[in-house]
Amino acid sequence: MVRTMTDNGKKTILKLEHIVKRYRTKSSFFGTHGKDVIALNQVSIKINRGEIFGLVGESGSGKTTAGRLIARLEEPEEGEIYLNGNEITALKGKALREFRRKVQMIFQDPYQSLNPQISIFDAVSEPLIIHKIGNAQSRKDSVWQAMRSVGLSPPDDFAHRYPHQLSGGQRQRVAIARAMILKPEFVVADEPTSMLDASISAQIFNILLEMREKLNVSFLFITHSLAAARYLCDRIAVIYRGNLVEMGPGDEVIENPKHPYTQALIDALPKFGYSGEVKRYQTLLRKERGASEYVGCPFFGRCKLADQIKCGSEKPPLKRLGDSHSVACFYTEPGIKANSRGKL
Amino acid sequence: MALLVVENLSVGYQTQKGYLHAVEGVSFSLEAGKSLGFVGESGCGKTTLGMALMRLLPSNGLIREGRILFDGEDLLQKTDEEMRQVRWQEIAMIFQAAMNALNPVHRIIDQIAEAILTHTPSLDKEEAYEQVRGLFQLVGLPEDRMRDYPHQYSGGMKQRAIIAMALACQPKLIIADEPTTALDVIVQDQILQETKSLQRELGISIIYISHDISIVADVCHDIGVMYAGQLVEYGARDEVFDSPTHPYTKALLSSYPTLTGEKSRLVPIPGETPNLIHPPPGCLFCDRCPQASVSCRTETPVWIEISPRHKTLCA
Repeated sequence: MVRTMTDNGKKTILKLEHIVKRYRTKSSFFGTHGKDVIALNQVSIKINRGEIFGLVGESGSGKTTAGRLIARLEEPEEGEIYLNGNEITALKGKALREFRRKVQMIFQDPYQSLNPQISIFDAVSEPLIIHKIGNAQSRKDSVWQAMRSVGLSPPDDFAHRYPHQLSGGQRQRVAIARAMILKPEFVVADEPTSMLDASISAQIFNILLEMREKLNVSFLFITHSLAAARYLCDRIAVIYRGNLVEMGPGDEVIENPKHPYTQALIDALPKFGYSGEVKRYQTLLRKERGASEYVGCPFFGRCKLADQIKCGSEKPPLKRLGDSHSVACFYTEPGIKANSRGKL
Repeated sequence: MALLVVENLSVGYQTQKGYLHAVEGVSFSLEAGKSLGFVGESGCGKTTLGMALMRLLPSNGLIREGRILFDGEDLLQKTDEEMRQVRWQEIAMIFQAAMNALNPVHRIIDQIAEAILTHTPSLDKEEAYEQVRGLFQLVGLPEDRMRDYPHQYSGGMKQRAIIAMALACQPKLIIADEPTTALDVIVQDQILQETKSLQRELGISIIYISHDISIVADVCHDIGVMYAGQLVEYGARDEVFDSPTHPYTKALLSSYPTLTGEKSRLVPIPGETPNLIHPPPGCLFCDRCPQASVSCRTETPVWIEISPRHKTLCA
């Protein structure tokens, strides 16, 4: 059902090049000094038009930061971001406003992302007003159409309600309608279903897939769930402590993971819906080893396969294994099964 | 004999709009050393059920009818004081968002020791500390971190401390309400495996309450699927998940993305859960059920035994 796309012959819509983002923690009242936390470390990603690109990682891995940078809610310290070939980190004024129309964001928590004092109609039409699009009648038509497209129908039933009168799933659909009403080219969806029940999440996933089919929108789908990413995404990137460790087509990354961290993630998922034998990679170290921060491989401290000298001192680059599968690990070569080393 | 037998338990809340039927006619039993998982979506009554077993409902909550037989004694007949003796000593609970359940201004060691001392006043502080040391070893926490404050712990460590606290008085039953919800998958896996091996070692019974099918499928012997306050399917894990019979269980399973197998389109469940203040007659799922017939709207569904270890509430 989901079309898989590769780099070949597809137009790039969004490109991140060597993005670095640091946050400085405040020095505390008790005298500990503030220190830098690297949220993203030399991250480069290319996303094709019409593609749903999944960014998977644990909490604190920097995945939300990446989304916020793309939506220009924050600015990177180093590196460039291109939308349709235009650099966006320096946009100002009119050009920035135009950019904001093209790139929209869907946030994680629909209980907080909607203003409780604004009716659903006003919330969905607000972007049109901000961008001065259409007149009252055409705005109403657009709102009605957007609400129908996310399954809030008949729109009359919902338009004059307020967020507290809606369920979590309905609120998230309002948030999607609001993001989609400007007909954006690129949408950042930051864990849009993590607050919702499974049956409702499936509705939201299917709405996003439909949007892609109908409007040819491209998505960055940020999630902590590999299963959700597998269902929805054409390609997946796995991020660990601000570093991309593996990137490739969804099925390929999940069925044939090459990076020890991706393998550990897959090991850790409850084995539900599996038939037959479960493959275990066992790449996670039981007891973390000491590692100096920001030197060497980011996964060095927890990796069972790590080489004390090489992995502890040098950061492995993201290198290509095949057509579109890349891994940042010294010990995965093209053709070598990464897990053959894992069996101790 | 079963450790816990619950018969026809109905719990509700008195609200401004009327009486809300949060749990209706739930019956199940749990053997010593086994684990039972309740799955269902938000609002299905699974947390209320756990709280009712501990008799820890908020002030507007009411256990309307039913029996909770723990070790042969009806917990609903006990006085508040007797119930206080049962809590923690016999039945312990791991609450939802347990990471916030620790008191930020006390050292971890003192918080766990307090639980021990409250229930065994004959011990002195040193003996209690000694027990805490044992608990730390049991749950895999480093002993040199006993004197830390909660903010010095990571999420996974806090969760382990909470488990240590639940084990402090050697309870026979632990009720774990969404024990790993806020944790990352790798930490979640470590906690679940730890709990499983502790259960084997100590022979404790555990009731897991979760919205995540994959977690209960991983750790539980028996499964109860809840919808709108009712238990709708109940039985051995393999039978319930391999051959689900209730339309809600089937719908829930097909809306759940997995990591293997055919990537078929997920099927969401249409519609909304029914109003539990004025529940409709007949089956509560019939408005969303693809197999519903006219009689489903009027007739109360009855339990059907599929096998000795599997039953379903559907006509």
